[in-house]
Amino acid sequence: MTSVRDKLLQELNPGEVVPPRCKVTIVGVGQVGMACAFSILQSGVADDVTLIDVMEDKLQGEVLDLQHGSLFLKTPIIRAAKDYSETANSKLCIITAGVRQREGETRLNLVHRNVEVYRNIVPLLAQYSPDAILLIVSNPVDVLTYVAWKLSGFPQERVIGSGTNLDSARFRFLMGERLHIHPSSVHGYIIGEHGDTSVAVWSGANVAGVNLQSLSPDLEREQDSEGWPGVHKNVVESAYEVVRLKGYTSWAIGLSVCNLTQSILRNLRIVHPVSTLVKGFHDIQEEVFLSLPCVLGWPGVCGVLNQPLREHEAYQLKQSAQTLWSVQRELSL
Amino acid sequence: MVITWWYLYLALRRLCRQTWIMASVMQKLITPLASGPAEPPRNKVTVVGVGQVGMACAVSILLRELADEMALVDVMEDKLKGEMMDLQHGSLFLKTPTIVADKDYSVTANSRIVVVTAGVRQQEGESRLNLVQRNVNIFKHIIPQIVKYSPNCTLVVVSNPVDVLTYVTWKLSGLPKHRVIGSGTNLDSARFRYLMAEKLGIHSSSFNGWILGEHGDSSVPVWSGANVAGVSLQKLNPDIGTDADKENWKEAHKMVVDSAYEVIRLKGYTNWAIGLSVADLTESLIKNLNRIHPVSTMVKGMYGINDEVYLSLPCVLNNGGVASVVNMTLTDEEVGQLRKSAETLWGIQKDLKDL
Repeated sequence: MTSVRDKLLQELNPGEVVPPRCKVTIVGVGQVGMACAFSILQSGVADDVTLIDVMEDKLQGEVLDLQHGSLFLKTPIIRAAKDYSETANSKLCIITAGVRQREGETRLNLVHRNVEVYRNIVPLLAQYSPDAILLIVSNPVDVLTYVAWKLSGFPQERVIGSGTNLDSARFRFLMGERLHIHPSSVHGYIIGEHGDTSVAVWSGANVAGVNLQSLSPDLEREQDSEGWPGVHKNVVESAYEVVRLKGYTSWAIGLSVCNLTQSILRNLRIVHPVSTLVKGFHDIQEEVFLSLPCVLGWPGVCGVLNQPLREHEAYQLKQSAQTLWSVQRELSL
Repeated sequence: MVITWWYLYLALRRLCRQTWIMASVMQKLITPLASGPAEPPRNKVTVVGVGQVGMACAVSILLRELADEMALVDVMEDKLKGEMMDLQHGSLFLKTPTIVADKDYSVTANSRIVVVTAGVRQQEGESRLNLVQRNVNIFKHIIPQIVKYSPNCTLVVVSNPVDVLTYVTWKLSGLPKHRVIGSGTNLDSARFRYLMAEKLGIHSSSFNGWILGEHGDSSVPVWSGANVAGVSLQKLNPDIGTDADKENWKEAHKMVVDSAYEVIRLKGYTNWAIGLSVADLTESLIKNLNRIHPVSTMVKGMYGINDEVYLSLPCVLNNGGVASVVNMTLTDEEVGQLRKSAETLWGIQKDLKDL
């Protein structure tokens, strides 16, 4: 008895499987991982989204929930990988997995624990998708991007940390609020470490090329009457604030990662502040990853902008590099 | 005399210089032009409830760029503020310039669409009908406030049991019936189309099939209408949807009914699919598309139903709400199932207090 399918359709090339061209693998289906997945699915930029996690039921449930929305999406393959072999042929692997800081835990200890987690993830991703780009989101992102780079053996242009792309987005949002302008028209970069010691490049902050510091030379100093330095301080604290209020952050980082994904998969060559190997830039000698403005495209980091920095800005970067190196050299990779 | 004028001149010059230095960066940067009182937003969407479902709806609507303003309301103040901030921090990547949130409903004023997701969640194994009175009491606080601040809005009810709560919302709001919609079986139909399409190896948007009636265990799959490119599946397989069917297509409908329970069992709740489904409805409403969706609407007077109940039927949605309802050709058995659902729902509704 012929099935309904056979009566309905005349297949022309049965069994032919064309491998996906823009496959994205997301490791970790926590709040951040799912926010990244959801944003990427809605943008329609990938033709295959594969999720993987150690928590099997949660993974299965999340993928099922996404699949049920297929009617409203344009990504035909949404799957839960049973093991890393199903992540094969990914163009982009986004790692959000990792353990959270325990109360009173030192950063070094957190890093050690996350290195162990990454040991079970990165080599396998690299094995099954040897040409992929790795995008690291888990914190501390700069150190973990270095760890992923070491564990994967990939060239530096294919290992990127989400870095200060989000900090810069928050910065531009807050600046935009003050000036009553949309954030996309307010330009300003936060670079360096994603965290407490990030560097706001006030010398570059501008609207339509009008340098804000030229309008108010005191802009970044403590005594600035309008409190502009507070904007950067606000950015640094905002993650803690959101975590305090709702328990975690998800939507903003999801949108930020989707933004980076689009630049890479669509080869847009948009400049983003992301974590890249900074040895050789701004007089830094250590092999560390920090955020600098990078041109992102299909090959990964196509180029790094030679952004002129003031002396104190470059100095802060060097300090961050030294701090990160002191953590990294204790790791056995 | 000359000296006084000179001193006056110096003072004036000093004042000007100080004013220039004192002028804010914004004042120096921009010369204002068009001003006047701020106009109210034209496509404002409010989401009530910032739980997993509410936030999935909010993010889906933001990602589709449907609203020019989004308002969030909830009773949990910290969570509400945290969610608002998290969305605002993504503003660079969005095209919705105003995102606000407050416990006070005044923040929802002038909304076009209000999505209601507030309420308590289905527990594992709990049927939707068991949630009823718990959620009715919550709605008594919410609905009148929404209507007070947005008397011209269209209400989209998502909280479960959605059909009963859409009825409750209609009663509490005093709005005409075409402006109160339940998300209904829009999601069930989307799941059905996905599962059926998978079996055929095609995209869900190319599989046409409707699930109507109650959003829940007794939903009605209209097998007679299931088709691909106009080819009726029932004509290819007259047993489709029955127990006699060797290919067991009925399984697809069973999976739809079970799928919510399955996802809840695996991850604790469902949110992504319902979020996408609600954004889909919102798009038809806001953009005045006249697209047809299976949503929960007041069915008294149709198919021999004499009670005031809400069930899902194919509705034409536009900026006025439900413009019209499609007269589906249903088999006697399917009509019977709808009437049975209506009876069950009315059995619950007639006992509800304080409506």
